[in-house]
Amino acid sequence: MNKYTLSSQFYIVLANNECLESHLPDRVCYHDGMISFSNLSPVEVQIVYLLDKHQSMDMSIEIDNQTEVSIIESRILNIDSKLNRKMLIKADAIVHLFGENDSLDGEINEEVHLLDNAQCQYGYAELSDGNFKGNYRYYLDGEGAEAKVRMAILSKMQEDKHYEVLIQHNKPHTYGQMDNYGVVKDEGKLVIDGIGTITKGQSGSSSHQNNRIMVFDEKCKASANPFLFIDEYDVKASHAAGVGKMDEEHLYYLQSRGLTKKQAMQLITYGYLRPVIEVIDNDMLKERFEKALLKVGE
Amino acid sequence: MSTLVIKDLHVEVGDKEILKGVNLTINGGEVHALMGPNGNGKSTLLSTIMGHPKYKVTQGTITFDGKDLLAMEVDERARAGLFLGMQYPQEIPGITNSDFLRAAMNSRRDTPISLFKFIRTLDKNIADLNMDENLAHRYLNEGFSGGEKKRNEILQMKLLEPSIALLDEIDSGLDIDALHVVSDAINSMRSDDFGCIMVSHYERMFELVKPTHVHILVSGRIVENGGYELVEKIDNEGYEWIKEKGIEIEEEDFNHGIILGTCGKKEQLNNE
Repeated sequence: MNKYTLSSQFYIVLANNECLESHLPDRVCYHDGMISFSNLSPVEVQIVYLLDKHQSMDMSIEIDNQTEVSIIESRILNIDSKLNRKMLIKADAIVHLFGENDSLDGEINEEVHLLDNAQCQYGYAELSDGNFKGNYRYYLDGEGAEAKVRMAILSKMQEDKHYEVLIQHNKPHTYGQMDNYGVVKDEGKLVIDGIGTITKGQSGSSSHQNNRIMVFDEKCKASANPFLFIDEYDVKASHAAGVGKMDEEHLYYLQSRGLTKKQAMQLITYGYLRPVIEVIDNDMLKERFEKALLKVGE
Repeated sequence: MSTLVIKDLHVEVGDKEILKGVNLTINGGEVHALMGPNGNGKSTLLSTIMGHPKYKVTQGTITFDGKDLLAMEVDERARAGLFLGMQYPQEIPGITNSDFLRAAMNSRRDTPISLFKFIRTLDKNIADLNMDENLAHRYLNEGFSGGEKKRNEILQMKLLEPSIALLDEIDSGLDIDALHVVSDAINSMRSDDFGCIMVSHYERMFELVKPTHVHILVSGRIVENGGYELVEKIDNEGYEWIKEKGIEIEEEDFNHGIILGTCGKKEQLNNE
């Protein structure tokens, strides 16, 4: 089993459906596959998911009304394993999440439901080794709910990664925004599907998305696919998608100041993927993210 | 003291020959002014010395302290002591100035500079150059005005302490106050360990940073060498007198556009 690093005062480690160790603050409880937050003042909690080969785990998280919480999800999956994670964010709750992925392989299905005026901001750092499949689905089920998703994905060697992000607006005046950034090198493969759906009657809603992939080598395969399904007139929606090479002039500029090509590429990639880390203010996390990004230059 | 020697340099861009046999030697302690009409090869010469991949050297040599510069990568040339202050510096989102400057400084040091020393050096130079205090945390050149970009080039030059600096129209986009700040910064670096090639169209730049040598580059060759009197002559007379010597001046490709603000049709008829 892979090792994990704890970087918050409060944490819970879940291995193949069992709680390995935990130190949770007041009014944050774990019981039978469900973590519920009803803390009175804002807290930061790290949740570690460990899955062995061929294992699967079902988990639920519930955030109570008006609760404010920062969650670091460390996801360490193994070959042919699967994590299904549901989250319910109740009215007026504010949630910031950062997800790091140290898996060797695996699949994650996330389903997040947001009730009235709930806010959720998620930064996904998808820098794992091996193939991966991620389905992240956000449902804005309450009026005024807001979901912002950022992703930083690296696919290298012969990795095959596929991510699908959905934000579905089921109530009026809801806001959804996703920014999915990917880097592909060696013979890596990456597909990003961004889906924004506004169902009928959800006037005053906004759905925005931005999918970009930077390709390093000849043998990379990448595709960024934006989808917008709009069934209402009075809405705002936008999408952008692009796959391209690193800007040669940027490389030249940095190299002309003495940085090696490798250093220059690392710095450019870091700049490109860094917005994902800005969701949560945690220095240890930033350090780990930067270290994980060194894989780009290898 | 460093020496940069350019011999019989021929350079192509695409299939077009831009430089047609340039000879030039720059030693530490010297400031060379490179003048000439637009489109005659000044920027090409500086970019070729730095190693921009777009420029292909077809003949000739460049040596830096005896080493074959053309065999070196761009970053090796920089670490050897060359610096190019660019005419159009790149904007790179996501990379802060401070991350970039520290990486650039560390690239030529055996042990990384301490954070404390770095911040102190940076702050002092930012103040000297009269720059935005938040500069360190802003993304590299992103959203900078023309003048801010040029000052950022000079900031980098001061921090990296090159032995030979190539400054490509460093004065364009600067107002008169900024011009004084920048020329003071260049003058403060002048010593036997610092040589410089400056490209500029304006006498006022060379009034503030007095060159020791002046060259005129026309149609890919250096056609005149001299001292400050050449700068004055060009300022008074332009480049017409060069034509009288039987030298052809390369005209920049220029599409005669039509200004729609007045009357597009009329202009078009006039041109016919």
